[in-house]
Amino acid sequence: MNAEAVVFWVFSIVTVASAAVVVLSRTLIYSAFALLFTFFGVAGLYVLLGADFLAATQLLVYVGGILVLLLFGVMLTHKIYDLDLKTDTTQLAPGLIVAVGLFVILSATAVRTQWMGLARPPAPTTSEIGRLFLGQYLLPFEAASLLLLVALMGAAMIVRRRRDA
Amino acid sequence: MEELLRSLALFKPEIALVAGLLLVVIADSIGAAWRNAAVRLLTLASLAFALGLAFNLQASGAGASIFSGMLVVDPLGAAFKVVLVAAGLLTVLAFTFRNSRELHGLGQGELHALVLALVLSCLLLASASDLVMLYLALEMVSITSYVMVAYLKGDRMSNEASLKYVLFGAASTGAMLYGFSFLYGMTGTTSLPAIQAFLAGGIPEANRFAIYAIALLVLAGFGFKIAAVPFHFWCPDVYQGAATPVTALLSVLPKAAGLAIALRFFYGTFSAPGTSAWDLEGSIGWGQLVMVISVLTMTLGNVAALTQTNMKRLLAYSSIAHAGYLLMGVVALSENGARGLLVYLAAYLFMNLGAFLVVTLVHLHEGSFDLRDYAGLYRRAPLLTVAMAFFLLSLVGIPPFIGFLGKLYVFAAVIEKGMGIYATIAALNAAIAAYYYFRVLKVMTIDAGNEDKPALRLALADRAWLVAFALANLVPILFWSRVEAWARGALVMYAGR
Amino acid sequence: MISLQHYLVVSAALFSLGILGLLTRRNAVHVLMSIELILNAANINLVAFSRFAAGNLGGQIFGVFVIVVAASEVAVGLAIVLTLYRLRRTPNLDEADILKG
Repeated sequence: MNAEAVVFWVFSIVTVASAAVVVLSRTLIYSAFALLFTFFGVAGLYVLLGADFLAATQLLVYVGGILVLLLFGVMLTHKIYDLDLKTDTTQLAPGLIVAVGLFVILSATAVRTQWMGLARPPAPTTSEIGRLFLGQYLLPFEAASLLLLVALMGAAMIVRRRRDA
Repeated sequence: MEELLRSLALFKPEIALVAGLLLVVIADSIGAAWRNAAVRLLTLASLAFALGLAFNLQASGAGASIFSGMLVVDPLGAAFKVVLVAAGLLTVLAFTFRNSRELHGLGQGELHALVLALVLSCLLLASASDLVMLYLALEMVSITSYVMVAYLKGDRMSNEASLKYVLFGAASTGAMLYGFSFLYGMTGTTSLPAIQAFLAGGIPEANRFAIYAIALLVLAGFGFKIAAVPFHFWCPDVYQGAATPVTALLSVLPKAAGLAIALRFFYGTFSAPGTSAWDLEGSIGWGQLVMVISVLTMTLGNVAALTQTNMKRLLAYSSIAHAGYLLMGVVALSENGARGLLVYLAAYLFMNLGAFLVVTLVHLHEGSFDLRDYAGLYRRAPLLTVAMAFFLLSLVGIPPFIGFLGKLYVFAAVIEKGMGIYATIAALNAAIAAYYYFRVLKVMTIDAGNEDKPALRLALADRAWLVAFALANLVPILFWSRVEAWARGALVMYAGR
Repeated sequence: MISLQHYLVVSAALFSLGILGLLTRRNAVHVLMSIELILNAANINLVAFSRFAAGNLGGQIFGVFVIVVAASEVAVGLAIVLTLYRLRRTPNLDEADILKG
């Protein structure tokens, strides 16, 4: 087992185990913190795959933004002094069967399929990504800014206390 | 740089909408007294401009791949753009903040900005030619819709509806994204034409299963947008919970854009030319898959609508059923199928908007969406009832109304391809659907009740729009050749890189 | 030697767990978290393919856009959850029952 394999297994187990906690835990706060570890694990996998820019973005946006937002959501929708942050799960069994079946099907597909074979050895990606954003992927880049505008306006408008037009 | 300039020249309708959107946001943030009027004017101007530009685009017959292959401009796409922008424009014109009781007192600026953003994202979706652009545009349409549905934030039903919409939508598009990732891994590219070229070159046996998995996952995302079974669960709740003008918009725009991209994706990616450029053979049996979905969709929509008493839910299930008919145009892998889809969509636009306008007006004056409160409306609002009769008959598909034209085209396309049983099932469905459309008509005209209530006094503008929509449902049959020419001119799908 | 298939199996596990959470969770915030798992799974796929299969950065670019979209969705979703909570004092989906079916 070389170093790469060890790192891979560590990050993978962290990711999948925390994801299991997110999905199976009864307490919302535990799920939120497990999600933190999932995101970190995924960022680690990105680094292993040579996606340095994406790993940094994952940490900044997912952990620093989305997770914080989710934690706010958890905290603001429960009475803090109540601390009853447990939620029920509807029947686990049918969902479990579907999920396991899905996992088997997807893994089998992943293993059996002949994927395209062009490898890209790990190299710093940031400058290349920047070039692509302003080159080939310019339109999605600009469209994403509109998307963020709409989401920003929308979320602010929805949450704002009622004020007459 | 030149490529960029060339792309921008073909991007004019969208530029008009972007300019409108930004100006509306700015106008709304200046808290002046004329804010609302300015916002409305800007929105209408921008949509009207975009409509003209889209017409021009279709007439010019331009076909090119722009923005480095992110979007593709062709007459088919331009025709869809015309329908999409027209839907947005007509909705903003006919449904004002004055004739919608639900929207009274809410901020106008944001809603108009959202309408522009929705139309813009639908245009981007309808002409996407790259997986990245497709995903982004689809999510733009979705997120804009979520916000629009959540607009009535003081209303519990609206909140629940928008929450279910968000969760369901995010899950479906997440699954679709997983499918896209497989597609990327299999072909090594995100560009749809390149993917088509790769897949047309032959699929190794080991990859067949993955292709099926991809098709199913992608159908999850598209099916959600079109509200096809089994991804339709959000539809009745969302249509009921949203403000009726928003529902009217959502019943046409995302559906049309979703169908446009489904057409382009399944034709352009999983099909290889057979005898001519338009007679395509599926590389996998996705045609049958979509056919099954189409049948389930129309049947479920029609059967569920039979027992509805809430007008908005009834129209929601009716739109689900119409999505089933619209899919017939996609299943018939042919030129006639695409033409049928276009004509049906244009017809559907006028029928649906008209019906929702009637529902809005009745709610304005009566405060109810319940069918029972529509009893005897003929005596109290004859113009409204006659207009509704036009819309209902059009929805059933009876000649000489425009709905009949739409059905005629898709049925012809399907029969021409030899799918007789499919067409028969669809015809049976139309017959079943007639029951609930006629039931509404019966309640409005024949049923006794509410006699003691006074006559409804509709504003002049509302009356004018009812007449306009009613005529739009009836008159086109007289200009059938023009409709035919418009649809025929649209049938060029740009297949290059 | 860690190969492409290893990463794909990890992402399949994440995806399946996300679907499990989607099907069994009552609380809206929990469901949002499950959806984030699904999106991360797809992202891992995209990046893994970019490294091993495609030879270009398209997958990573796609991944950045997925992160952007996920952020927007969570923002809007949580805004709605918050409003629902204000009105109903519960973010549980089962108790959001005014709309049937």
